[in-house]
Amino acid sequence: MKGYAGKILRVDLSNGRSSAEEIPDGMKRDFLGGRGFAVKLLWDEVKHVDPLSEKNKIIFSTGPLTGQSLPSSGKMVIASKSPLTGGYGDGNIGTMAAVYLRKAGYDVLVVEGKSEKPCYLLIEDEKVRIMDGSELWGKNTFEAQDLLERKHGRNSGVLLIGPAGENQICFSVVMSQKGRAGGRPGLGAVMGSKNLKAVVVKGTGSIPNFDDEKLKEFGKKGYEEIKGKESYDFWVRQGTMQVFDWCNENTCLPTLNFKEGVFEHSKQLDGYVLEKTKIDRKGCPLCNMQCGNIVNDSSNHPSELDYENVGMLGPNIGMRSLPEVALLNRMADEWGLDTISLGNTIGFLMEASEKKLIPEKIGWGDFERAQKLLVDIGKGEGLGKLVSRGVRKASETLGKGSHRWAMHVKGLEISAYDCHACPGMALSFGTSPIGGSHKDAWVISWEISTDRLSYSKEKVQKLIEFQRIRGGFFECATVCRLPWVEVSFGLHWYPEYLEAVTGSRMGWEDFYKIGDRVYNLIRAYWKREIPPFGRPWDYPPDRWFEEPLSQGKMEGVKLDRQKFDQMLSWYYELRGWDQNGIPTKETLDHLGLGEASKEMIG
Amino acid sequence: MAELKFLGYLAEVVGARTKNLVLDKPTPLRKILPPSFPEENVIILIDKKVGSFDSLIEDGNSIVIMPVLSGG
Repeated sequence: MKGYAGKILRVDLSNGRSSAEEIPDGMKRDFLGGRGFAVKLLWDEVKHVDPLSEKNKIIFSTGPLTGQSLPSSGKMVIASKSPLTGGYGDGNIGTMAAVYLRKAGYDVLVVEGKSEKPCYLLIEDEKVRIMDGSELWGKNTFEAQDLLERKHGRNSGVLLIGPAGENQICFSVVMSQKGRAGGRPGLGAVMGSKNLKAVVVKGTGSIPNFDDEKLKEFGKKGYEEIKGKESYDFWVRQGTMQVFDWCNENTCLPTLNFKEGVFEHSKQLDGYVLEKTKIDRKGCPLCNMQCGNIVNDSSNHPSELDYENVGMLGPNIGMRSLPEVALLNRMADEWGLDTISLGNTIGFLMEASEKKLIPEKIGWGDFERAQKLLVDIGKGEGLGKLVSRGVRKASETLGKGSHRWAMHVKGLEISAYDCHACPGMALSFGTSPIGGSHKDAWVISWEISTDRLSYSKEKVQKLIEFQRIRGGFFECATVCRLPWVEVSFGLHWYPEYLEAVTGSRMGWEDFYKIGDRVYNLIRAYWKREIPPFGRPWDYPPDRWFEEPLSQGKMEGVKLDRQKFDQMLSWYYELRGWDQNGIPTKETLDHLGLGEASKEMIG
Repeated sequence: MAELKFLGYLAEVVGARTKNLVLDKPTPLRKILPPSFPEENVIILIDKKVGSFDSLIEDGNSIVIMPVLSGG
């Protein structure tokens, strides 16, 4: 099949061997690429292992649209068994490593085993070497990126971890290009557990496409369409930071560990403040709507901001100054910590202090203490040790009812949308295939535009539609969803792009089926790896059901557990899962996953 | 007086983030917006309830008009 480099590169760090193997056509047809390839490989090869042991594997996976001359295609999915959740974990990242991996002749890189000493992997087309990484170990992600670029040239793609990944902090991420991050569920820690500091990729080949002329023409039209959108200029100015004002207006801005949905100091942090202080912008390869806004932080160093990190390191921990938030964000990037989980864990500790459950005094918005906590978390020392495995484990250790306001689903901390008054979005967090992530189905905008406080079946149907498009298609074709979701770039382009690339005509029904196959296999993976897994894993935190909002337009509102339960039941029914949330044999058979049925339940 | 608030790029379209209007009689929202105002992918809330461009606006209403966003 055209459009693929066609090979999986495998590297075993335990014995230093590498090999390349063909990707079967059936795998391309059934799983498309990216997340699809990743879950297929994890299902087949990573069973009942400790996520931080050498038996775990980390997968860097691209899709047929990755690196192509079309909007925002410089993406890669990184996946592994998660040390944070114990289940399936992945995240996408914009990086030149995605583009060069394909040019080097590989769609997927699988790294397994463990190096005896710190190392990094150097891929130069067919030449694959495990390099001494002792010089890099201990360096932050910015310093290490500079060192590697000096050594191997700027025409290389670099994926790397910071000290937090080396220390196996369970929400450390993989970083690239000083600001791009991916793999929220602790995939930085997986690299750290293998003594793998970085992956450097250089590729000089090209991808064999079905019709390059057509792709070039359609790609150009796509870029032009995006630039012509009415919302484009504003997007270029504020990017995702326009969501800040939007969330505050709609009472869903995460505030003080998700107690509230509005922040009284929001005007000191919003997209208009960002515009005034912005010094540059940057983004992923092949993108003409870059979302990285650079500001100078309070120590006068550049920091790349977007909504999620400002939401979680701003109002969620009571911070009132954008340059100070920017400094926390830069430190998180240097340490290689996920900013969403970081904002959750610091918020958790601040609330624990407020409730006098810990002796340390850490007030909301205490900038000095927040910086110190960040360093302690990166090192896994002091209070940082308590939260280094996420808020779920921290609440199990702390006890005293703290699980009620440990803001996670399945162990992954919730991203920056308060859901006291957004039942559909709460279900989206509940049913995300990696835990408390918004990226698969940001249904909140749709629900606010229709009947916000309803618990309807229509809302559940819309949520599944979003999961199929965002979590299914975009993650498997492995291109960025933002052109579609942020400036309304036409979805009709994607079947055209895939046809030009592969030569096969596929429609959205086909993509939905692939998405369903991927979702079901991920669900089966959770069940196989965590045998008691089921319905209780799909609920958002108690806080949203028990403590109503006390401020803003939605004052007095909280989630209704009984009605949420009904939505969850509809969700299972529509997915073809039983009422414990487990895919039925019929559903798996229909998707060609019959073999998974037996193995899932052991 | 009716209070209108515009979020995101829609504030650029009307040239203001807020507007206060005195209305003699109930007026369809569409008539008090510029002709070029986009009608797709827009959320309209009138006194916290979902409205439309055909909704009648009168003094005392609080209207928020915002784009459909995705949140990254």
